[in-house]
Amino acid sequence: MSALSRRTMLAFGLAACAAPGTVARAAALPRVAVIDWALLETLLAMSIVPVAAAELVLFRAVAVEPEVPASVVDLGLRGMPNFEALRMARPDIIFNSAFYTQIDPKLRLIAPVETLSIYARGGRPFTRAEEAAHGLATAVGRPEAAEPLIRQTLATLERCRADLAARPRRPVLVINLGDPRHFRVFGPDSMFGEVLTRLGLDNAWTQNTSYSASAPIGLETLARFPDADLIILPPVPPDARRLLPGSALWQALPNVRDRRTYLLGSMNPFGGLPTATRFARLLTAALLTPGGNALG
Amino acid sequence: MAEMVLATGGRRRVAWTWLGLCALAGLLILAALLRRPDLPGDPETVRRLQEALLWHSALPRIATALLAGAALGLSGALLQRVLRNPIADPSTLGIASGAQLALTVCLVAAPGLLAWSREGVAFAGGAAAVGLVIAMSWRRKLEPVSVVVAGMTISLMAAAASTALILARGEYVLSVFIWGAGSLHQQSWDGAIVIGTRLALGALAAAALMRPLTLLAVDDASARSLGVALVAVRVLVIALAVWLAASVIAQVGIIGFVGLAAPALARISGARTPSQILWRAPLVGALLLSIADSLIQVSAGSSGDLIPTGAAVGLLGGPLLLWLLPRVKTTTPPQAMLRATTPRRAHPWRMVVMLLAGGLLIGLVTLTLGRNGQGWLLAQGDLFADLLPFRAPRTLAAAAAGALLGAAGALMQRLTGNPLAGPEVLGVAAGAGVGIAVVILLVDTPGTLLLMAGSAAGALGALVFILLMGARTGFGPERMLLAGVALGCLCLAILSAVFAAGGWNTFLLLGWLAGSTDRVGGLEALLLAGATLLLLAPLPLLARWLAILPLGTPVSRALGVPVVGGRLTLSLLAALMTAIAAFFVGPLSLVGLLGPHIARLLGFGGGVAFLFASAVIGADLLMLADWLGRTIAFPYQIPVGFFAALIGGPYLIFLLQRGDARHG
Repeated sequence: MSALSRRTMLAFGLAACAAPGTVARAAALPRVAVIDWALLETLLAMSIVPVAAAELVLFRAVAVEPEVPASVVDLGLRGMPNFEALRMARPDIIFNSAFYTQIDPKLRLIAPVETLSIYARGGRPFTRAEEAAHGLATAVGRPEAAEPLIRQTLATLERCRADLAARPRRPVLVINLGDPRHFRVFGPDSMFGEVLTRLGLDNAWTQNTSYSASAPIGLETLARFPDADLIILPPVPPDARRLLPGSALWQALPNVRDRRTYLLGSMNPFGGLPTATRFARLLTAALLTPGGNALG
Repeated sequence: MAEMVLATGGRRRVAWTWLGLCALAGLLILAALLRRPDLPGDPETVRRLQEALLWHSALPRIATALLAGAALGLSGALLQRVLRNPIADPSTLGIASGAQLALTVCLVAAPGLLAWSREGVAFAGGAAAVGLVIAMSWRRKLEPVSVVVAGMTISLMAAAASTALILARGEYVLSVFIWGAGSLHQQSWDGAIVIGTRLALGALAAAALMRPLTLLAVDDASARSLGVALVAVRVLVIALAVWLAASVIAQVGIIGFVGLAAPALARISGARTPSQILWRAPLVGALLLSIADSLIQVSAGSSGDLIPTGAAVGLLGGPLLLWLLPRVKTTTPPQAMLRATTPRRAHPWRMVVMLLAGGLLIGLVTLTLGRNGQGWLLAQGDLFADLLPFRAPRTLAAAAAGALLGAAGALMQRLTGNPLAGPEVLGVAAGAGVGIAVVILLVDTPGTLLLMAGSAAGALGALVFILLMGARTGFGPERMLLAGVALGCLCLAILSAVFAAGGWNTFLLLGWLAGSTDRVGGLEALLLAGATLLLLAPLPLLARWLAILPLGTPVSRALGVPVVGGRLTLSLLAALMTAIAAFFVGPLSLVGLLGPHIARLLGFGGGVAFLFASAVIGADLLMLADWLGRTIAFPYQIPVGFFAALIGGPYLIFLLQRGDARHG
């Protein structure tokens, strides 16, 4: 319970004296700063608005939801946050993940650091995302906030699974295009892979990809998966968008020819529960739209 | 008579070797073709897919490998001929890095331009890089070592800039890394056709330029008297070589060192005259790249190639450079550049004190002046105390690292007599990067301590390597510089292979490569400052060696200076300074080059005052760059290495160009 610093207690006390009822409850929330995006989206989805978070310009473009209120101060790059901006935001607790652990010593000068990692060796990011939600909620002193988010997420997945049940059983391949000649694939041990399993879909790529995407693979490898529906995650590089429709091999792929390629909306490849929800929702909507929508 | 018999015997052996190599390439191509995967599905689909794979992927890949290899071989041969430099090629001249930076900039800033013409963008970047390299080494009469050292410097600058861009716009990271480690996967004939037409046009142009190219073998004055329009021919040939390289880079990414290896192997195979080398180099290049790519395909696992072809070939570059070193003639007398560019100062120490005072002033500014969300802010009282724990360590670290790099650069430049010799080209910093890369590959989420251990081990390994290489040549400064460049090339190739594999944790590596002072803690900053004082302290004792050693071995011996021991001590000191600076704040390109140059501009001619002036200027520069990087795009921080390159690069070229009339 490193969350309850002296300042928090003081703020709580002052607020309790100054104003009755609901205001006191709001003030009881410590001032939270967050470096990692997965933790940021999880906090926002639990209606815990941090005072400061990293790289918001890109977050709003890549992760898209949940929406970040204008009150949240941008801290700059995740790998290189601006400690001065963070200091001036006066957080009581800072959430970080193992991705950016090398800045922990500096963060500790500002406030206690709580490290919660969704992506780590041993995989199972979805389970870890649930644990992270619990961890975040507990650390800010609202342990009850995690359960609704987890329930909501599971309910969405369940709904999507039911919607998809009518669809002919075909495996899917979740890829990200690197350039007109290469792609990366998300294996069963990635967040998207776990969501596929929970949706009752088969991942055509059966090897693990160390909990994220694989190294770049030549596009011709897609020919090994003629049955799979192709799920393409953004960003699609501009030259891929231009060149692929004219590529003979791309056009010869059965999944492309039968219009079974689906371009989803942008999402954070290292997200938490909100990303899982977003992926499930967008994927289901795409798969239920006949005729595909991508790069034919 | 005996010679003639030997020659024909040799020719026959060479012919057999060629035949053998062609057969090997052919066999490997067959093996790669036969090793294509079984596809699932109904027979009709499988048949059509197999057909599409053969005609639109496998065969174009074979053709692209052959054509790209040939184009790079021709490009390298042309560059080596026109620059009279046996180690010139698109990689060592910075063409590849320049093209990659241009492509990265476009990807981030103007993707439309990229969709319109990747080739044009790559050509512009490559031409700019080679132009800078030539501008930087012009006063050294394009002497091979200087050209390659300048190329390395440009490559490092471009890498720092690319890194900063990638850090700022992570979403397109993958494309950039795929270019960086050139891969030959093909899905259509487009790449082969583009490279093939460029190669054909290039070969025609080279044939047309054959006479002037042959005459370029003699020195400039004789060539001119034979009626060769020297400048025009050189510019034309260089443009042709850059264009060939750029078309390959635009299509398949960076394929390192084929351009270096092909002409070298052509010479070994018995090609002597310029036209023989020019015709044979493309053939060797084609064979080389084809064999390498087939090997990669044959060894590929079910989830793709183990390592991109470009990165694999690039790994050969370092060893190849080392092997070519003895062939490099160092022609220019080493003393040409060591004079102060302005009249020597009567009281140099007074100026050093002024520079120190300037440094204190900059330090004061960086400690107090900053920004918040609303605007500029002069920190006083409580706010000052609040921010001090963040500002003081980075300012101190920047000052100390800058001083180390400045002093190391001054040592290197005095020792080698080469104004382009910065501590960066020693390869020590790149070695530290490889150490970090190894840690990141082995451990998922390494802690700070482990990363630091990795970087220290890498830097130490590089240091030992350089010293071993140096020991073989009595620590000849030019050889050590080249060994450093070779090591740097090898390390950069390893890093690009690591990046191409592209796990999330490569961001750790990027952060370090970009150079960053803000992670340095208070204790670390004090340690760094202590190490700096410790390493700067012995400089006054080395003044005599430093004054005499550059005069050459005979003079030094006559004056009783231990040549080998002296060189070893000085190089070791410079390398240690670089390694420690890189260890704490990353490879901060250019500061080590700039410091000594500005010192010379200010009238420091040599001696201990010059060393200390370089150190203080380095410190001032880096503090300034650090402060700018911190404030200019608040709250987003711009890596200090990028800033140093951005301000320092153009200024350095200006400095190197200045006084051309007086010395040239």
